[in-house]
Amino acid sequence: MEEKLNIILDGKNVEGYKGETILEVARRHHIEIPTLCHDNRLKPFSSCFVCVVEVEGKNGMQPSCSTVIQEGMKIHTNNENVRTARKTALDLLVSNHFADCVAPCKETCPAGVDVQGYISLIEKGLYQDAVGLIKQTNPVPSICGRVCVRPCELACRRNFLDEGTGVGIDYLKRFAADKDLLEGESHYKPSVAPSTGKKVAIIGAGPGGLSSAYFLQQKGHQCDIYEASPEPGGWLRYGIPQYRLPNDILDKEIETITELGTRIYCNQKLGDNLSYKDLKEKYDSVILTIGSQRGTLIRAEGEDAENVFSGIDFLRNMEMTGQKYDFTGKTVGVVGGGNTAMDCCRTAMRCGAEKVYVIYRRSQEQMPANPIEVHESQLEGVEYMFLTNPVKVNKDQQGRLRSMTLIRMELGEPDKSGRRRPVPIEGSEFDMEFDYVLAAIGQKTDVNFIDDINAHAGAGELKLNRWGDVDADEQTLRTGIEGVFAAGDGVTGPATIIEAVAQAQTASRSCHQYLSGQPIEPQPGEFISRKEHFRELTSDDFAGRYMQQMREEMPTLPADQRQNFKEVELGYSDAQVADRETGRCMECGCSELYTCDLKRYASEYGADQKRFAGEFQEKEVDHSHPFIEIDNNKCILCGRCVRICREVVGANALGFVNRGFETYIAPSMGESLANTRCESCGLCLSACPTGALTENVPFKPAPVQWETVPTICNYCSVGCQINYHHKSGYVLRVSGKEGRINTDGNICKYPRFGYHYINDPQRITQPLLKVDGQFETIDFDKAYEVILDEIKHAEPHENAFYAGARLSNEELYLIQKLARVGAKTNNIHSFQYLTSFKGSDLNYKANVPFDEINQASKIYLMGSEINQENAVPGFMIQSARFNHKVPVDMVTNLEASAMKEKVDQITQVDSYYHFIKAVIHYLLSENKQNDLFIRDKCSDFESYRKQILREDFDQLVQQSGIASSQQIIDFAEEYNLQQKAILVFSERNLSPQAAAECFNLAMLTGKIGKTASGIISLKEKNNSQGIFDMGIGAYTGVGNRSLRDEDFRKILREVWDVEEIPEVPNNRHIDKLDAGKIKKLYVFGEDPRGCAIDKERVAKWFADAEFVMVQDYFMTETARDADLILPATLPVETSGTFTNTQRFIQQFEKHLDSKVEKENYRQILDLLNAFDSNGLGDVQDIRKEALSLLPQNKRFEYRFEYTQGEAEDYHLFNHGCDSVVRYFDEGFRHAFDSSR
Amino acid sequence: MEKSKVLVGLASCGIAAGAQKVYDKLLELKKADQLDIEIKKTGCIGMCYREPLVEVIDESGSYLYGEVDEQRAVEIMDKHIGNEEPIRDYVVKTDLFETPDDAFWRGQVKVALRNCGVINPENIREYEAREGYQAIGKILQEKTDPEDVIQTVYDSGLRGRGGGGFPTGLKWRFTYKNQAPKKYIICNADEGDPGAFMDRSLLEGDPHSVIEGLLIGAYATGASEGVIYCRAEYPLAIKRLNIALEQARERGYLGHDIMGYPGFHFDLYVKEGAGAFVCGEETALMASVEGRRGMPSKRPPYPAEKGLWEQPTNINNVETYANVPQIVLKGAEFFNQYGTEKSKGTKVFALTGKINHGGSVEVPMGISIKDIIYKLGGGIQGGKDFKAVQLGGPSGGCIPAYLSDTTIDYDSVTATGAIMGSGGMVVMDESTCMVDVAKFFLDFTRKESCGKCTFCRIGTKRMLEILDRITRGEGEQGDIEKLEELAHQIKDNSLCGLGQTAPNPVLTTIKYFRDEYEAHIQEKKCPAKSCKQLITYTVDPEKCTGCTLCLRHCPVDAISGKKKEVHTIDQNLCIKCGVCYTKCPFDAVILS
Repeated sequence: MEEKLNIILDGKNVEGYKGETILEVARRHHIEIPTLCHDNRLKPFSSCFVCVVEVEGKNGMQPSCSTVIQEGMKIHTNNENVRTARKTALDLLVSNHFADCVAPCKETCPAGVDVQGYISLIEKGLYQDAVGLIKQTNPVPSICGRVCVRPCELACRRNFLDEGTGVGIDYLKRFAADKDLLEGESHYKPSVAPSTGKKVAIIGAGPGGLSSAYFLQQKGHQCDIYEASPEPGGWLRYGIPQYRLPNDILDKEIETITELGTRIYCNQKLGDNLSYKDLKEKYDSVILTIGSQRGTLIRAEGEDAENVFSGIDFLRNMEMTGQKYDFTGKTVGVVGGGNTAMDCCRTAMRCGAEKVYVIYRRSQEQMPANPIEVHESQLEGVEYMFLTNPVKVNKDQQGRLRSMTLIRMELGEPDKSGRRRPVPIEGSEFDMEFDYVLAAIGQKTDVNFIDDINAHAGAGELKLNRWGDVDADEQTLRTGIEGVFAAGDGVTGPATIIEAVAQAQTASRSCHQYLSGQPIEPQPGEFISRKEHFRELTSDDFAGRYMQQMREEMPTLPADQRQNFKEVELGYSDAQVADRETGRCMECGCSELYTCDLKRYASEYGADQKRFAGEFQEKEVDHSHPFIEIDNNKCILCGRCVRICREVVGANALGFVNRGFETYIAPSMGESLANTRCESCGLCLSACPTGALTENVPFKPAPVQWETVPTICNYCSVGCQINYHHKSGYVLRVSGKEGRINTDGNICKYPRFGYHYINDPQRITQPLLKVDGQFETIDFDKAYEVILDEIKHAEPHENAFYAGARLSNEELYLIQKLARVGAKTNNIHSFQYLTSFKGSDLNYKANVPFDEINQASKIYLMGSEINQENAVPGFMIQSARFNHKVPVDMVTNLEASAMKEKVDQITQVDSYYHFIKAVIHYLLSENKQNDLFIRDKCSDFESYRKQILREDFDQLVQQSGIASSQQIIDFAEEYNLQQKAILVFSERNLSPQAAAECFNLAMLTGKIGKTASGIISLKEKNNSQGIFDMGIGAYTGVGNRSLRDEDFRKILREVWDVEEIPEVPNNRHIDKLDAGKIKKLYVFGEDPRGCAIDKERVAKWFADAEFVMVQDYFMTETARDADLILPATLPVETSGTFTNTQRFIQQFEKHLDSKVEKENYRQILDLLNAFDSNGLGDVQDIRKEALSLLPQNKRFEYRFEYTQGEAEDYHLFNHGCDSVVRYFDEGFRHAFDSSR
Repeated sequence: MEKSKVLVGLASCGIAAGAQKVYDKLLELKKADQLDIEIKKTGCIGMCYREPLVEVIDESGSYLYGEVDEQRAVEIMDKHIGNEEPIRDYVVKTDLFETPDDAFWRGQVKVALRNCGVINPENIREYEAREGYQAIGKILQEKTDPEDVIQTVYDSGLRGRGGGGFPTGLKWRFTYKNQAPKKYIICNADEGDPGAFMDRSLLEGDPHSVIEGLLIGAYATGASEGVIYCRAEYPLAIKRLNIALEQARERGYLGHDIMGYPGFHFDLYVKEGAGAFVCGEETALMASVEGRRGMPSKRPPYPAEKGLWEQPTNINNVETYANVPQIVLKGAEFFNQYGTEKSKGTKVFALTGKINHGGSVEVPMGISIKDIIYKLGGGIQGGKDFKAVQLGGPSGGCIPAYLSDTTIDYDSVTATGAIMGSGGMVVMDESTCMVDVAKFFLDFTRKESCGKCTFCRIGTKRMLEILDRITRGEGEQGDIEKLEELAHQIKDNSLCGLGQTAPNPVLTTIKYFRDEYEAHIQEKKCPAKSCKQLITYTVDPEKCTGCTLCLRHCPVDAISGKKKEVHTIDQNLCIKCGVCYTKCPFDAVILS
């Protein structure tokens, strides 16, 4: 019983255990204390000082992660002092964190659209997800994709690299949005919350009104938009000409808003035919998105002349009337240099004008219009008169425009906007004749309903600001009247679409707060680290670090085909173009945006990056390791990576360099991490609390908010629980889950880096039949037909079924049932165990649970490169060695074992088998066996002893390859004396006979059957144990029960409802294969051809066969050889169970949509049902039947089994005979070969 | 008749001043003249300001000669040895007549330093001849209970001389009480404060007293293995320690069955530190001994509980151990007769800076700062005004002149905001800029921060940046407050003593010299006329005679002017080196 202590935690009496830290007690009591350097898997370190607390009576703050509680301690975890200290710590840390949380594109976008995120989704072909992401902040991507002013592209850092062309962000957005809107069966639709019963009236169906409705409707509020014009769209329809934004696009995109339930009432003008009085009665809230609609004239004498219009009236009238102006042969002057001027001049050209002049008082560089627009207008024939300004409009007698008097300007001192102020040059006036003049120099907001609204407002008053726009609180956009909000140009004055969208976000958030009775508050501030907080970036920051790549330009209508209102920009032609353009995104934002603890705490504590601005560390990002990227600029020196590499991995690949402020983390000896003892397990990645250590991925890591699904690792036999983090099935990352086996959430390189196959587009998704040497897609029924035909047209003993250890128990069970019941044969094997089934079937016995490892007195690694092959128990052993000082001895036949630096003693042998036997021989000949244990627990000892002693000790020693017999004696004596010795071996390296002798050794020394003592056997594949348990062997059935056992046969007949169970074969199956006697091979989930050590031998088996069926995910070497291929589902696409090497059965569920129509078990069931087997329905049924056949409460026998010599060909295949493992192993090796 | 003895102070300080040449010269003369005298090495005599020092002991008495160069050595050999005519003018200490330097010795009480400058540190016999190894011999012979030894040390009132001031007896008791299969004892000789050399003097001058202190500590605490962690920058100390250890082993003071008493085993080795200041912090020190990066870790657990290799470990510094043999031999009362009520015994100080008599002194606790500076130290160089004294090195603080009545004891010093520290005492005069002083010490700790804790790693850097700005005349309103705030946060949020005390020099200078900070920030002036960016040198046309002396010495040709005409200094070229100011014989260069 642990001693309990009473402490006072934040004023509450709380119990803690002796030795517990404050942090631990607080966490148990659900008090969150932030920490960056603490990691549950490691000893406390206390460097970040973010976890500090105040302890009464102690000087200074105490780091809670390492302060052990004492009786009566009074602790404050969240008072003012504590918060100040934490904030200061964070201020200091971020003052030396030369990094960007988010990219400048997103930062610059008024609406905060996650550009980097959606570009990464476009790269993956996830167009609908990209649109979904955009629509979180901007409901009109197809519109914005055409006409946005794109501050993002100006901010894009590509500008530093490729001659000033940012990424074609808008083009990409349009590409994805159009694909979603115009192609395919369904477009993106957000989920809409259940109705709240609240109603909102929105005045104006422009971008602000539409966006407000989109956001609020999703929250469950009914939105009704009242629009003064005959059609919705506002400026989008009446201001922007169709050659830029076609009306059908506008209509379709408006529909994506109305389909959520929003209603639009047109020809309803507030203050005119609509009164606020009605709105107030019918609605709970009102949002004014009225726009800024009234055009201004040129502000010169004579501007009232006929044929002088405001540009926006010009544009609107045409849209309203549907009639284009006829400017044929006319000269048109457009005054202004903004985007409206562009729309006017280009439209004027389209109306047939002879000459169009843009008159602008500043120079071209100072034009606010989008340069692309200027360029296009020039292509279309528009001429420019820069540094020119109208002074007077000259009329004829009818009051019609005749000419304008213009004056030349020059640039003077810079004004407030930083632009040089244009100054008239005296005496430079000149006259120029025009037929029409369009003034595009400004707009005014028209608030003619203000009296109506104030008359009925009751309390409060709607006011105008000094520019005549609606007065609303900048942060919340609430107006002077409760429940009335305003957004868009009507508030800001004429601005951009994206700014209107941004305003709609704010107004709708406030409106939602109002409607749900919350206080109306601005969005809380978020900490964003920016490189620009430290210094300006220049092209030197990018040149040489990124490949140059020019922008994929927008295809446009040829200039001579533009005498109409057809859309000029045609959109990217195909996905390849878009994909190339995504490649230009340099991913300035941090991939850990959503996972970074530093950012989270910095936001929570309001950290200020500039408060302690000063010198900062700037380091090159180290990409030299194929999987692990080190960005020291982001590092906060918590040391978790250094410590986990030392304490848990034992590789010591990372260390601290230098002292004080100059300290940084680097691979040991300043080498590339790839050249250190780094094992590429990726535990450092899991330890990093920020983005300093990140995974090098072959795709754009986003960041995006992903979905997380749990599953069981399908590589080795340990059975770690893992999380797949995915977006619509595209796996972006794998992390460890705190599982039953990997209780601390550690995982190894296989699951962490070995997930790319899931995203591989080369998956086989449909049955394929080889016809004339080529595979043709067929349907499942056809495939079944062929298979059944082949099975039936062969003698039972000519058919053979093979099932891989990657498959689930349910799948394995079905396959052997198909063989035994359907094909009536016991030719059922796993290639992996073809020659090692016998002996290996005992390896599960006496397995010490992994969680007892740290209690051992000594650990013996016998032929296990555990850090490479089964790294997670390897981590447990290293932790035991580091934290509990458990010595580790290794017996190995490798000259260059990767474990050499991580063990205390090494015994070099040639043959494990003979080494173990020699040890046993010595102990028995010296009578040093544990007689008591043997007598009580074991059988067959005497005969075993006699047989061993009949062998020649010296010969065993010689065969073991050990230098002297004394070494055997020392080892034997030492092992025998250990209180708790765990012998660890892997099947990959030890023959079944050697394994059996290990077991004999453990028995005769009495090392088994007690805590933290015995054997740990490690199998190669996730469900290797399932091979034995599910009866994937010619001689044994489910539960590894002998098929010669008549009782068992009887049970099987009953359960399977069959007349007879096939006879057990007499010869070794491999001999039949070698002899070419197996004519039809049905291979499920194994790649014997690809993984064979003796390739020729295996090739012959397949060459001799008449028919080969393979079920796999990919076109493996074996599959290529097949006559028929069935597609296979991945574990995460189906459900089932795996049995780990210690016989823990773990269930996994289907989490991702299967790329294959029928899950594996369904395919096998379909085949089985064709043999009229008793019907099994689903995975549950299968599992139930399989479990019913397992022997109940079978006590484990401690029986000595003598082995006469060692099988030489026990190891026929590499990579566990699994193509996925091979894919990873080879890719892993290749990655290092090519990085050197 | 006894042979005349000639002792040469050959500690690092003496060697640096040229004592090795003098020693060699003396040997040469002895050989040439076939003199029947004994020429010996000895350790630091303490009188740094008169180095090299040579002591001649003859029948008439002893004569300590100061500033002995080769020429004086010849004179001494010639007149004193040859003609038995001591050269009175060179004598800085003798019992026979008064010398101008007597004040330096008066008021000193030598316990820890009792053998320094007296014995040859490379000869164990000389140590033995002066009660050496008698304390441990007495303990072993009388089979004194370890608890009694601890009690004696406790009663003596000895407190940790490394700076912490923790009662030594209490510390020993903790280690003693913790049962473990193995215990360690460590001597912290990683003295790293700028301006401190007390431990070096001791190790170079009397290594055996430290070894004996460790032996007694080992006996009392039950440690069987000891480590002297000495910074590698002290090669002579390491050499002499190793010689001493070798001799101690030979004489049976170390090893198995020490001094023939069965069952008492102890051995000791020197571990060289690689020069990281933070390794003077005990947890970092132990990490370094274990071969890890010298980074501190959280206490508790204290070393007495879980120290080296996670075993109970006692750590004290050099001076602490050096006191122990005398305490054991002469009793607690011998030691606690000196000092104040709470601070007993004597303390060694390294007296440096703008003081006339710099050197290493040992004084009884309770002496006032004023007495040290004006009596022992002979006052301020060049007759300038005493401004402040930095006590405790970079972890300590500045005590201003108006507090110079403060007595030297742990509590009084701490009350000023400074700390006793290990005994570094840097004296500053009116020409010292206190912002600059703070900057100097903070720069030291910043560089020596191990880089582990956020506040110490980044916070000290940021403080330094602010101080740097201030001294460049770019200080802003609110900088002082920002410094204070950061300083308190760093003190509160650091794992080890380095970080917890690093801001002390800044805090104490702000406390006592806030006006100087303000002058820098508000008026962009350095009142001490020391910060280069804030001062200008101009020529007073009234006084300038056009002698061209300044012009000729200016290293950057910033001064122009014809002979016998008034010179001018080009402010754009001037690098404020001050050469003109010092060279001008007519005080015509104005520093403002």
